[in-house]
Amino acid sequence: MRRSAGARQPSQTRLNPWVLILPSLALALFVIGYPLYNIVFQSVHAVSRFGLIRGFCGLDNFRQVFADPVFLASLVRTVWWTLGVVGGAVLVGLPVALVLNQDFYGRGLARVLVMLPWSVSLTMTAIVWRWAFNDEYGMVNVTLQRLHLISGPVHWLASSTLAFPVEILVGILVSVPFTVTLFLGGLASVPGDIYEAARVEGASSWQQFRRLTLPLLRPFINMAIVLNVIYVFNSFPIIWVMTQGGPSNSTHILVTYLYERGFRLGKPGEAAAVSLIMLLLLFAATALYLKIQPREGGAA
Amino acid sequence: MQARLSQRLTQVAGALAAAGLFTFLAPAAQADTVRVTVAYYSDQTEPYFKEMAAAFEKANPGNTIKIEMVNWDTLQQKLQTDIAGGSNADLAIIGTRWLLDFVKDDMAEPLDGYMNPTFKGRFIGAFLAPGQIGGKTYGLPIAASARALYYNKATLTKAGFPAGPRTWDEVIAASKKIKAAGGYGFGLQGKEIETDVYWYYSLWTNGGDVVGANGKAAFASPAGIKAATLYKSMIDQGLTQPGVTNYSREDVQNLFKQGRVSMVISAPFLAKQLKKEAPTLQYGIAPVPMGTTHATYAVTDSMVMFKNSKAKATAWKFLDFLFTKAPRVAFTSREGFLPTTREEATAPAFADSDTKAFVSLLPTARFAPTITGWEDTAKAVSDAMQAVYLGKAKPADALRAAAAEADKALGK
Repeated sequence: MRRSAGARQPSQTRLNPWVLILPSLALALFVIGYPLYNIVFQSVHAVSRFGLIRGFCGLDNFRQVFADPVFLASLVRTVWWTLGVVGGAVLVGLPVALVLNQDFYGRGLARVLVMLPWSVSLTMTAIVWRWAFNDEYGMVNVTLQRLHLISGPVHWLASSTLAFPVEILVGILVSVPFTVTLFLGGLASVPGDIYEAARVEGASSWQQFRRLTLPLLRPFINMAIVLNVIYVFNSFPIIWVMTQGGPSNSTHILVTYLYERGFRLGKPGEAAAVSLIMLLLLFAATALYLKIQPREGGAA
Repeated sequence: MQARLSQRLTQVAGALAAAGLFTFLAPAAQADTVRVTVAYYSDQTEPYFKEMAAAFEKANPGNTIKIEMVNWDTLQQKLQTDIAGGSNADLAIIGTRWLLDFVKDDMAEPLDGYMNPTFKGRFIGAFLAPGQIGGKTYGLPIAASARALYYNKATLTKAGFPAGPRTWDEVIAASKKIKAAGGYGFGLQGKEIETDVYWYYSLWTNGGDVVGANGKAAFASPAGIKAATLYKSMIDQGLTQPGVTNYSREDVQNLFKQGRVSMVISAPFLAKQLKKEAPTLQYGIAPVPMGTTHATYAVTDSMVMFKNSKAKATAWKFLDFLFTKAPRVAFTSREGFLPTTREEATAPAFADSDTKAFVSLLPTARFAPTITGWEDTAKAVSDAMQAVYLGKAKPADALRAAAAEADKALGK
């Protein structure tokens, strides 16, 4: 709704758009508002293991959570996890999208193969990888041993030094299809004739990429970063299935920490507090990112 | 064509109306629907409860039993969501360790009013006790198990212990021989649920305890340090499978099934799995190895009735039926648990040497105490043990820190 358009019309029509979106706005408010209210309510109450409210407790849940060194460690690890997975997905996704945008024999098949991990549920993927990284009979160790790259089995998930990077790699793998799809959409919207013009002017392919493709893809890269940050920050199955945040809490991120608080240790109140903190963090990160990005016309 | 279609539609409508009429004419006598939340133990669980529901409905026409099946992993989550939303079932299987929270929240119906002495007499006392809090019975033991040492007969015979090791020293001696022959000796669990329990075996048999008589953590004791040092030294000497913190209970059991690990401590249901999945493996069952004393871990799961149930009489009738001989024998033998009622224990299905071996251990069994903070203690101990197994912390320091953590929640 542009101001100039509204100013020309009488005030009645300025209300019209609001009336038209009112039903969906009300629905959205209810769908988002009720759980949010519930979480805020739980976070300031003592809640029993089975969800009964035992009384108002002010900010006790928050105090408990902030006093827990595991929470703080998980918070830091969540940042690494998000940076690692989102950064990796964009860095891998971009060249893959560029290749898949070229015309070559079997491109359809290649596109399907890249998209395939997307069609499998995240939990199933995580279970498959858990097996693949099994010490004794996992596909990864067996392959590496057959290739004589390692002499004995590597204990991938036994300690966090290897387990957490492995989990980030799996995270990247499952985020790539979505990222590539976004980029392919962006590349399709880039007109071909500007490259022709650039070639005539004698631009090298690197220059074409640097000066044409990258700036034009920028809104899509931004979108990929923001959406991936939201998904990855909240992504639960990979870490929970592979290590449950262990050993000794060394692979927890906030969302697995939250789940353990709420459903293993029976502290739904503290879990609600953590989820509120996560919501605020995500809000802040997204707002900050959108703010530091220069405004683009169109998609962003 | 169109006429025929409309004719058919009229027929369908007529049939529907008639069906509707019959529904209204169905017996209006006491028609209760009893919802039962059931935990998944194996692929046998759902067929079993469906059969029981059908048998009960046949004997009590008009009543409906609805079985709702949930995975153990999500059971607590389901109960929590259901209870908070006021849509909980009438009966539910729960881990007995949650019973205290149920009673505290006033959600569990005391069952003493329904039970007469004969009913109470059906049970093996030790299994009924964990379901009783403050002198009242809230949970009936639907499933019970104990733990014992499974050993691979072939490798242990070669190592000189054909009847299985009796003490931890013998476990170490046998493991050294097995290691020399190229296998792994003792399977040590170091990941996920019951990592703590796997260490309690060593703690208890060395004379230690998890929670003391004063309700405080008691595992950071000399016995505890001895128990943790025992496991750690076995890891360091290569007597366990390598990378223990990557092995959940199922993972260790899998190594045993494949013959790579020669000893593992587990529950009766492993015998069932071995017969099915590794029929050629010759295994023996021995008591949990001894340090200074004998001990094993016994666990029960309870069936509880919700206080807000609107069909308590029928729900109780169904409970009563489930705890008669034939349904009990069917459940316990199919799932590979231990009998919890006297009558079922006499059934020929439990006369086999495996079940007998487990039942004979019950006099030394420890149950998880009904105390708040048990789960927090389990978590603190599991974390501490993982740090010890990885060499990140010394047993004494790790145990002291875990005890402080556990004391924050114990009895609160």
